[in-house]
Amino acid sequence: MTEPTLPPAFADLAPFLDWALPTADERQTKRRHASREGLKAFYDALLPRLEAILAEVDKYPLGGLPESHHAIYDMALALAEVAPHVELYGGSPGVPYAFEEGRFIAVHGAQPTWRGLHPMAGI
Amino acid sequence: MSVEHRWLEKYPELGSNPISTEPYISPDWYEKEREKIFRKVWLCVGRVNELPKAGDYKVKRIEAAGTSVILIRGKDGEVRAFHNVCAHRGNTVVTEHGQETYGKSRAAVITCRFHGWVYGADGALRSVPSEQRFYSCFDKGHNGLTPVHLSLWEGFMFINVAETPETTLGEFLGDYAEHFRGYPFDSLDYGFTYRTELECNWKVAHDAFAEAYHVDTIHAGSFPNVFSTGLQNVKLMGPHRTCAVCLTLDAKPTPVAGIANRMAGASLVSQRGESMLPKTINPDHRSDFAFELSVIFPNTLLHVSEGIWFTHQFWPIAHNRTLWEGRYYVKAPTTNAQRWAIEHAMTLQRNAWLEDTATMEDTQRAMQSRAKTLQHLQDDEILIRHGAVVVDQYVNA
Repeated sequence: MTEPTLPPAFADLAPFLDWALPTADERQTKRRHASREGLKAFYDALLPRLEAILAEVDKYPLGGLPESHHAIYDMALALAEVAPHVELYGGSPGVPYAFEEGRFIAVHGAQPTWRGLHPMAGI
Repeated sequence: MSVEHRWLEKYPELGSNPISTEPYISPDWYEKEREKIFRKVWLCVGRVNELPKAGDYKVKRIEAAGTSVILIRGKDGEVRAFHNVCAHRGNTVVTEHGQETYGKSRAAVITCRFHGWVYGADGALRSVPSEQRFYSCFDKGHNGLTPVHLSLWEGFMFINVAETPETTLGEFLGDYAEHFRGYPFDSLDYGFTYRTELECNWKVAHDAFAEAYHVDTIHAGSFPNVFSTGLQNVKLMGPHRTCAVCLTLDAKPTPVAGIANRMAGASLVSQRGESMLPKTINPDHRSDFAFELSVIFPNTLLHVSEGIWFTHQFWPIAHNRTLWEGRYYVKAPTTNAQRWAIEHAMTLQRNAWLEDTATMEDTQRAMQSRAKTLQHLQDDEILIRHGAVVVDQYVNA
């Protein structure tokens, strides 16, 4: 696998490339094991760029995102995973007062989200 | 009419006494439920559009009905259901990988891995290797797959494992079928599935989802600015039940939720414009209507709202063990930004379900202590009361 890259306009997000994970399962695991500070730093860096990222990826059709744009899209998806924790759960990496997350199986969890597949496809 | 006790006044036959916890913890009671409910009534096992092409199949394991069911689409376009049991020596024909197994066969046949017996999508036994070595009493024509009754409603597949079902699916659903007719289930077919096994009785799981009394406490994390304004339009229809869950939204959305809401109205707690609901649902056009919460007896919760619908199913495995499946459906996205917004909505919904399921195993353990043998239900917990009464009627029938 090649190293993830960023389009030049988003080069400043390079310190957060470890969040560029293609599947929902990977992003959830990364969030669960992140520190409070790590979550906040990622959120603060991504939020101001979110609308620009979504405008950039929408230059391409769903399922047709070029490899050069996978990382920014994966990071935006990671922000969707992280946002409730910063915005609603007081910065906690886990969902408070919740069932054991590791026991919840997402049938679509191993799909690369950028492919835009039906969530039940390929099972 | 008293506002506090309006559902009791509407349905006095359900009574108002406390409900016994014994049916939630007794292995004997569970065996009766298997025999008198799960092996007798129609059970919802999925959407027919999960099997779009000839030869597509799905095997659903249903412990409470004591079998696994193959659902397969034939070259004639028909979907049929069969027990997943080979006529040879009783092996499963399709090797199952867990609770649901999907597969496809270009030739629309399924082949038993054990000795290679081949069955058509019509259930007929097509070929037996070394057939000549069986004896004259063996007739291929009488050894097809054992059929299971299958019937469709609004694109949902229902099976019934009884040899002769006591009712048709239409009779079983009754007024419930009319209540939901016309909702665009088929065009909102982008469906996510989560599942887990819960150490609790299936009714503990049903009950936890079948009221809105818990919203202000259990969902204080994921939906902090959402407050329950109670149930409306409770309607009991034979063994089935429905109501409107009404919620008020107090504050503007969080920053990321705000962007997601602009991209797609996929989240349950976002505000929307025109209606796609049948006229029977939210008939008074209440502005605090959030979603219709209904139960198709025995084990399927179906919720519909604008642009989104979701189901919970509780498949009993033992008296204190349940497979839970949550499914969340929206319109398929057409852009990357819409797909992102759906991811945000699904993530929040998953977290809410993690909050919902958090109490269930604790409830079961606590009930099993028998320190309390009764549970007290308030008026807005009428769906739980109705569920308990209906289960009791079936078990004691």
